[in-house]
Amino acid sequence: MALLMDTRLLLRKVKDLRSLTPRRHRVKEKWATTRAKCPASSLALQYFDANYSAHLGELWPSVRVALLSERKYGALLNNFSHEDVLADLQARGCRDFINDTDTEAQPCSEEKSETCLEEESNNLPVKKPDIDDQLLSPLKLSPNIKCVVFPRGDLTRFKPARPDMERLLGYYLMDAASVLPCLALDVQEGHNVLDLCAAPGGKALTLLQTQAIRFLCVNDSTASRTTRLRKVLHSYLPKHFFTEKNLRITTFDGTKWGEIERNTFDRVLVDVPCTTDRHSLIEDDNNIFNKIRTGERRKLPQLQLELLLAGIQAACLGGEIMYSTCTLSPIQNLSVVEQAVHLARENHGISVEVVDLRPLTHMFRKTFHFAPDLHLGEMVIPHLAANFGPIYMCKLRRLT
Amino acid sequence: MGTTVAARQVFRWTVRASSSSLLSPPLTSRCLLQPRPGLFCSTSSRSPMQSSQHNHPVSPVSETPVTELSPQSLADMGFTGTQAEQMLETASKARGGRAARHALSTLTALLALGLNPSSVLKLLQKCPEVCSVKESQLQQRVGNLRKLGLVEGSLQRVVAHYPQILTVPVKTVKHVVVLLREKCLFTAPQVTDILRESPAIVLGDLAQVEFLFQYVYFRMGVKQAEIIKSRLFRYSLDEVRCRHCFLERRGLYQTPDKKGQTIIINPKLDSILNVDQMTFLTAVAKASVEEYDVFQRLVAKEWLEEEKEQGSINVDATYSEEEEDEEEETGGRSGYIKTRKRTI
Repeated sequence: MALLMDTRLLLRKVKDLRSLTPRRHRVKEKWATTRAKCPASSLALQYFDANYSAHLGELWPSVRVALLSERKYGALLNNFSHEDVLADLQARGCRDFINDTDTEAQPCSEEKSETCLEEESNNLPVKKPDIDDQLLSPLKLSPNIKCVVFPRGDLTRFKPARPDMERLLGYYLMDAASVLPCLALDVQEGHNVLDLCAAPGGKALTLLQTQAIRFLCVNDSTASRTTRLRKVLHSYLPKHFFTEKNLRITTFDGTKWGEIERNTFDRVLVDVPCTTDRHSLIEDDNNIFNKIRTGERRKLPQLQLELLLAGIQAACLGGEIMYSTCTLSPIQNLSVVEQAVHLARENHGISVEVVDLRPLTHMFRKTFHFAPDLHLGEMVIPHLAANFGPIYMCKLRRLT
Repeated sequence: MGTTVAARQVFRWTVRASSSSLLSPPLTSRCLLQPRPGLFCSTSSRSPMQSSQHNHPVSPVSETPVTELSPQSLADMGFTGTQAEQMLETASKARGGRAARHALSTLTALLALGLNPSSVLKLLQKCPEVCSVKESQLQQRVGNLRKLGLVEGSLQRVVAHYPQILTVPVKTVKHVVVLLREKCLFTAPQVTDILRESPAIVLGDLAQVEFLFQYVYFRMGVKQAEIIKSRLFRYSLDEVRCRHCFLERRGLYQTPDKKGQTIIINPKLDSILNVDQMTFLTAVAKASVEEYDVFQRLVAKEWLEEEKEQGSINVDATYSEEEEDEEEETGGRSGYIKTRKRTI
C-alpha cells in the first residue's frame, strides 16, 4: 500500500517535471501557418458584446470603438533620473495632468485651500465654496507623482525613453489611468507599502516616485513575472535603492499573505490579474479567452477575492487597501469588493469601510472619462478622444 | 493606394498642363495655364483668334473664315452677345490652336445633341477641354454612350452635368464597362445606372474602382442592387471605409457570414453614404462629432502604416489585415476567389 502511494506521488512529480511549459504556451500564434478559425480576440469581443452592452448601455458603442483602436499612453516621469525630461516633453505639447494648475482643481491641503476655492469659483461660479470644501478636503493624493499626456484628441505617440548618464530611463510609458489607483492610495511619509501583484511594475514604479515610502514590498506569483518586474525597477531606480531596508521583491502566492504577514502594512495595492479587456481584444497570444484557458478564466473572480482578502488581512489598523483591475466586468469589479467586505467581516472579524473616490473623479474629469452611476468604486472608461483605461478602482479602509 | 492614385492623377494633370501650355496663347491675361518657352507654339493660326478676341463682338471681323470661331458664327447658332463673349473666352482657355480650328464643329455637334446654347456654354465653362475634342471623336463617344444605354434625356443630363465624359476615349469607357460587367457582375441596365449617376467613374483608377467594389461586396456584404441604389461610385474608398469601420467598431455593422446572416440588422448602404456627416452621426452611428473626428485621423494613420507594411500593390491582402472583426475573414476571401473562377 505504501509503495503504491509512493509511485503515484512519484508519477505526479514526473508529470510535473515533464510539462516544462504550461499548455497554453505550447501553440504559438506566430508559428502557426494558418489563422485560428475563431481566434481568442474574436471570442473576447463576442463575450464583451454580450455582457457589457447590458452593463454600460448607451456608452458601450463608444467604449467598444475606443477599445478596438490604438490606445493612448502617458509618460510617468522618473524622479530619479537627472535629465530634464519634463521640459522636453512639454515642448512637444504634453502636459502633466496631475499638477496642471490651469485646468484641474488642485488637491486641497491646508495652505492651498484659499487659492483652490478661488480657482473653483473662477471655473464654476455657481458652486458654493462650502460644498467644495467638503467635497475636496478629504481627498489627499500621493505626492511627487508626475505623469504627462498629450492633449485630448491628440494622437501623437511618445518616443521611447532613452537612458541618461547613469543608465536610468527618463520616463515610463504606461496607461495614464493606471496612475490613478496609486495617486488615490495616498502614500504618506514613512509608510510601509505592499504591492501584491506588482508585475510588470508600472504601479510599483509610480509608488516609488512618491519618495515617501519607508519600505516597499513587491510581489508576484511567478518567477518570470518577478524577473520582469526586477528588470523594470533596475532600469529606473538608482542602485542604492535595492537594499533590504527599502525594497523587497518576492515570488510568493499572494493569496497566502494573510498567513505570512498580518496587520503589517500602512498601504496595500491589490492590482489583481483580470481579463485585461484591451489586451484580450488585440493580442491572440496568451489570450485568456482562449478555449484552453476557460477554466482559468472562470476561476478569476475567486482568485481576485482571495487576493483582496489577503490584502485586507495584511493591512494594519487604519491602513488602506486599493483594489484595482483593468476590466469593465462588474463580476470582477463590484462583486469581488462586495464579497470581500462581507467575508472579511464574517470569517476574520475585520470590518472595512469604502472610501469615497468621487473627489478624485471630479478632479480628473477633464482628462479621463469616468463611468457614471457606479455604486461602488470608480471606473475609467475608454473614449476615442481620451483612450485610457479601462481601470476600475475601489479604496477600502480597515477599521478594526 | 491613395498615394498611387494621387500620383497618377498628378501625372495626368501635369501631362495635360504641359501639353496645353505649349499651345496656349501667352497674351490673354485670363489664361490659367502658364506659358512655357514654346518650341512648338504655332502663332500663325492664332492671329484670327486674337483679333476676334480684341474686337468688340458687335463689329464683324474682316476676313474671318467660316470655320473659325467668331461672334458672328456664334450668333448664327443661337448664342446671345454676352454668351458669345464668354464662349470665346472659354475657348481660348483650351488648347488654343486646335480649339480655333474645330471648336465650331464641336459646338454644332453639341447643339445637335439637343442641348440649348446656355447649357452648352455652362458645359464648356465647366470643362474647356471639350472644345479640343474633334467632332468625329465626339460623335463616336456619344454613340458609344448611347449604345451603353444612355438614351435621350439621360444622355443630355449626364453630358450637361459631367462634360468630362466626352473627353474620355471610347476605349477607356469600354475598360470601365468590362470591369463592371465581368468582374463586378453588374447587369447592363445596372451599368447604365452607374454611368448615369456616377459618371466620374470613367476617369477613375480601375484598380481603385475594383477595390471599392470588393470592399463593399465582401467586407460589408452589400449586393449589386443595393450598390446601385446607394450610388456607391460617387464616393471615394476612404470615405466609405471610414464610415463603415466606425460603425463596425461601434458594433453597429457586422459582416455577414457565409450564409449571409448577421446577428444585428445592418444599416442600409444608402443611409450610411447618402447623408451628410451630421445626419450620419446622429441617426446611424449615434456618436459625437469629436469621436468621429478623432476616429478619422486615427484610422487614416492605421491605413498608412498598413500600406507601408505591405506595399501598396497588393490590393487583395490589405483589406483582410483590418482591425478586429467578428466575421470570418477566410470565408470572405475564399468567397471572392470563387467569384473570380466563375467569371474566368
